Amino acid sequence: MAEPRLLQLRINGDAHHVAAPSHWTLLEVLRYELDLIGTKQGCDKGDCGACTVQVDGHPVLSCLTLACQAQGRTVQTVEGLGFSSPSGCHPLQDAFDRYDAAQCGFCTPGILMSAHAMFERLGRPVTREEAKEGIAGNLCRCTGYTKIIDAIVDASERVFEGASPATADEVATHG
Amino acid sequence: MADRDAMDEGVSSEEAARNDEDSTPREAWQIGTSHRKVDAMERMRGVTRYTDDLKLPGMLHCKIKRSPHAHANIVSLDTSKAMAMEGVFGVVTGKDFPEPYGVIPWTPDENALCVEKVCHVGDGIAAVAAVDEDTANAAIDAIEVEYEVLPAYYDPQEALAEDAVSINPWSRKGNNLSKDVVLEFGDPDAAIAGAELIVQGDYHFEGTTHAAIEPHCAVASVEPGSGVLTVWSATQVSHYLHRELAKVLKLAAHRIRVIQPPLGGAFGGKSEPFDLEFCVAKLAMMTGRPVKCLYTREEVFYSHRGRHPMKMNYKTGFTKDGKITGVASRTFLDGGAYSSFGLVTTYYSGQLLCAPYDFPTYRFHSTRAYTNKPACGPKRGHGSVQPRFAMEIQLDKAAVELGLDPIELRRRNEIGSNRATVNGLMVGSNGFLDCLASVERRSEWTSRRATLGYGRGLGIAGSTYISGTNYPIYPNEMPQAAVQICLDRSGRARVFSGANDIGQGSNTMLAVITSEELGLPLEDIRVLSADSDLCPVDLGAYSSRITLMVGNACLDAAKKLRRKVCGAVAKRWEVPRKRVTLAGRRAIDIEDPERNVPLAEAFQWAEADHGLLGETGSYNTPKDRHGSYRGGTIGASPAYSFTAHLAEVNVDDETGVVNVERIWCAHDCGRALSRKIVEGQIEGSSYMGFGEALMEEHLVDAAHSGVHAGPSLLDYRIPTSVDTPDIEAIIVEAPDAQGPYGAKEAGEGPLHSSIPAIANAIYDAVGVRLDRLPFSPPRVLAAIEDRKAREASGELAPHKDSPDDEKRSA
Amino acid sequence: MLRLPQFGIETPSTVEDAVRLLKTPGARVVAGGTDILPNLKHLLDTPPVLVSLAAVSALREVKVEEGALLIGAAVTLTEVSEHPLVREHAPSLAQAAGLVAGPLHRNMGTLGGNVNLDVRCRYVNQTKFWRDALGGGCLKSEGNVCFVVPKGRNCVAALSADTVPVLVSLDATFDLVGGETPRTTDAQDYYRADGIHHIVKEPEELMIAVRIPLAQSPRRATYTKWSVRQSIDFPLVSAALRFDLETDSPHGVVTAVKVVVGVLNPRPRVVGKLDDVLGKKLSDPAVARIVSEAVHKQCKPLENVPYEAPYRRSMLKVLTRRAVEGLSQ
Repeated sequence: MAEPRLLQLRINGDAHHVAAPSHWTLLEVLRYELDLIGTKQGCDKGDCGACTVQVDGHPVLSCLTLACQAQGRTVQTVEGLGFSSPSGCHPLQDAFDRYDAAQCGFCTPGILMSAHAMFERLGRPVTREEAKEGIAGNLCRCTGYTKIIDAIVDASERVFEGASPATADEVATHG
Repeated sequence: MADRDAMDEGVSSEEAARNDEDSTPREAWQIGTSHRKVDAMERMRGVTRYTDDLKLPGMLHCKIKRSPHAHANIVSLDTSKAMAMEGVFGVVTGKDFPEPYGVIPWTPDENALCVEKVCHVGDGIAAVAAVDEDTANAAIDAIEVEYEVLPAYYDPQEALAEDAVSINPWSRKGNNLSKDVVLEFGDPDAAIAGAELIVQGDYHFEGTTHAAIEPHCAVASVEPGSGVLTVWSATQVSHYLHRELAKVLKLAAHRIRVIQPPLGGAFGGKSEPFDLEFCVAKLAMMTGRPVKCLYTREEVFYSHRGRHPMKMNYKTGFTKDGKITGVASRTFLDGGAYSSFGLVTTYYSGQLLCAPYDFPTYRFHSTRAYTNKPACGPKRGHGSVQPRFAMEIQLDKAAVELGLDPIELRRRNEIGSNRATVNGLMVGSNGFLDCLASVERRSEWTSRRATLGYGRGLGIAGSTYISGTNYPIYPNEMPQAAVQICLDRSGRARVFSGANDIGQGSNTMLAVITSEELGLPLEDIRVLSADSDLCPVDLGAYSSRITLMVGNACLDAAKKLRRKVCGAVAKRWEVPRKRVTLAGRRAIDIEDPERNVPLAEAFQWAEADHGLLGETGSYNTPKDRHGSYRGGTIGASPAYSFTAHLAEVNVDDETGVVNVERIWCAHDCGRALSRKIVEGQIEGSSYMGFGEALMEEHLVDAAHSGVHAGPSLLDYRIPTSVDTPDIEAIIVEAPDAQGPYGAKEAGEGPLHSSIPAIANAIYDAVGVRLDRLPFSPPRVLAAIEDRKAREASGELAPHKDSPDDEKRSA
Repeated sequence: MLRLPQFGIETPSTVEDAVRLLKTPGARVVAGGTDILPNLKHLLDTPPVLVSLAAVSALREVKVEEGALLIGAAVTLTEVSEHPLVREHAPSLAQAAGLVAGPLHRNMGTLGGNVNLDVRCRYVNQTKFWRDALGGGCLKSEGNVCFVVPKGRNCVAALSADTVPVLVSLDATFDLVGGETPRTTDAQDYYRADGIHHIVKEPEELMIAVRIPLAQSPRRATYTKWSVRQSIDFPLVSAALRFDLETDSPHGVVTAVKVVVGVLNPRPRVVGKLDDVLGKKLSDPAVARIVSEAVHKQCKPLENVPYEAPYRRSMLKVLTRRAVEGLSQ
């Protein structure tokens, strides 16, 4: 066994110190060391997106991120998504709940992390095309994506109430 | 539910509840609305523990050694080096599981691990439990196996050849025959021969797999002393797993507890026991420590049990008015190495075709063969998606030949409601005509179809599906479903059900029914499901049985409780019981709504009168709705759902790339208990059919030792969000007397017609018939080029006017 | 879960340290990880140590310098696709970078990683178990046969990087350090027709930057790709096209042309015999015809990736013709 390394990770705002073998991925550290089980494992190797977390605000595949590479970075997982809302759930989660956008719910944490990052990046309501592009790396086998797209668009309109919608140019760029 | 008037204080509460349908007819306050699911928010917050999220003290990790050969005898198997490794606590082989099993009791033809031979690449032969996965993998590599390689067969007809080596070690029929079914109703040969139009076609449905995003996982633990074995498994049929564990491990069933944690998708892929459950159980028993096994994605592909490849020949006769005179089919099913549900699949390949269209004569002959591939089994729309593909293209061909609108042709053949099919199955409610009309209207079929230029097209298809089967997998006279509900003085309900929520929302369905009857909002209802120690037996999430069957059982229990609660309130208000209703967390006097009390208080009154408020409800299927012939019970269901699909496509005639732009799907689910959940089932089914139509193919490479063509979610391509067309789900309601509030299934029916609707739309667009799935660009292009050559030679007229540039760019 | 083999990891923060650490025999670089980690999970290599570029900030620059657009090797593909300088000076590169796999891969994967993406084959990029079942691997893994070209002695796995045909078409150069002396190689000469060692970079060398000479005349360039899905997939057909023009117009006269095709074998194919295009207006239908016919004649896909080679060959013709037509609109 390779020597474990002591890592300092900031996860959902909390500082964590965790020892992990150098061949462990961020996914394994989250799930099996820190018991942050909301991040899922679906395909083993970056083909499905179930393990999506944000590192420094960018949605990435935690199954292809070595834990050591997250050293000193800011990691956000689905568990942290609701922290900032008084209700304990982010408007995205609320919209997914209203639209029944999570059937089995296994891909949902990853999709939420991709959608949330898109909100942070665009800072305005998103179009259906943008929502599709934003989660194009996350496979869902239950829903046909329809209700997921509905929920993302709805949530973005609530989060960015009053913000101007996408301009034609922005739609062309990101759609 | 016959006598609505009986109301006799002298009868037992159960009889009364059964007879007394309801105190007063009333407006539904939950049924037919939309709901937040009872368990979705915690899944979205990342709190829910799926099976791989379970962690027990001292837990070991199991890995399974798998066969690299498609067909071989095991000459020797030496586990001593693995056993001697540090960190390895246990090793099991096929010899530890001599008892064969099979989810269908008539065909026990597999062992938990191979005993004497291996039958496909990926067949399990040994398993280890070690301190971590890396150690377990190293131990697997240290197991030495010597094989004698045998000839392998990847085609059902080759496997059926007289001189073929027998594949399945328990097969009794010989010649690699797994199941052969011939059923004939009337004289189809004469009816077809005498028809004014005969349509004949060969169709090939290559297999597909479920690809749930959660890989299979199981954990087992043994309680010291009592020896009670607990198995947590990502299964959709806890009860069958329970039975097979008892059989194979030779343990009494009451000493085993099976728990299905929340599940990450199944679609039929988790509907029977797999090697991992037996292995973790046995290894936990041997080592005394908890053991977990999580499949790799590759192993999920080897476990498979997906849709059977079928080679189908269809002959259909029509009158010049488009009425079907007879249907005859010959089908070969590629079963893979084991039976799985294959006996049923073989019947379903013919039995489920006899609606929504009425035909007077019918014969199907289906033959399932063993081959050296991962075993096929049930995938969403079990056994009937493949023949539906063939049938709906046959109808489309007839419409073209006869110059009829394909929707009109389907209308003319519609079977109607409360009718027996040609094979003797009893259809109850039938909303198929409404389904056709809905998609016709929403797509503007009539006006747009005539104007779409070359390359663009619309296609229609219809289908039907069962809402569970009238006869369970193992014969017994007990109820098919049972539910227990407890009310407590805090004003809350607990619903105990053995049903497996696999993401389809069955826990929420039970809460909605309980809510409807008892007046509690959903958040006051806790549903505890799929734990064999806590919940009554249910047969599981397969054949779209849960809403109708478990829903009826739940309704039975809830009505009994409603009667008690209403009675207790009525007593205190000194009014007839029928004046009391329960809704909105209150008990209300219907004639004087100002008079009402909180439900908690009503529950307390009822508890004072009756003691603790708990009731059980049961449901059993009707046993008089099937044909009286051998096999006539297979396909018999309490109620049938109906679907119409309409697809719009854009076909690139230079690349063969098919772009499905939009899918309209109208589905008759009887009654939508919870609308968004029903829509989600329609959308998800349409999506899955779309993927099968265009890109999915579960293949082994016959030219390369029978390896899987690409056992990963990179190589087995399921559509992403940017590939998936807009799907418009349309709920049609033709309530069925057999279903709770009239409800029928919604989870599988809407897949069937998705595929032929796309095939027929491609024909409308470019004039080519795709008789083989998937409609990959090379296949579509080859068909287009073939047609163009025939047009150039004058053999065929141009299919449609060539589009002008404007149309093409549109 | 499919496990990574065990290895040590180093996380240097400077190029110098990275280069020093790369001298460990067998050491490999990991940046985004989207290529090497699946390959390691498949046990296609078992390096003793990985040198991570996660902390090497010097490799993340994008700037115009000495008449060239310079992009640091560790700039992510998302950044390449969105960066204003890339969009201005190398729009076909921005386009190709934005078409790599899916958005999550592009957030992780780097330009250097894509340039150095290992070649791919249906018989290679599978688990060790799978390759054993195949009969013990092939030239590129642990065997000594080729399943694509029977009796072949040369690995013909496919160059599957979206950005490579574009970079070759733009006459890009790559900066390498860590060898005896720092060096710059032409993208066109960087790739070899040997799938085992398909790049000229030595194991101890580190690619630090990609340079794209600024266009000296009006230019129209594009990238065309076919994959089954619109996200996540590797390309099955790919081509980059570049036309330098006398005037910045679809009707501008072509003064230089370069067309580069990927997913054939380990090497991008620079299509020859396009001189007939020179002097014609880009919008002249003959240009699209000449280019697509030359591509079709010279490029012969192999059965190394999914979907039949003859089909992919015919797609090259259609897609390159359409690409030219698209440029001249």
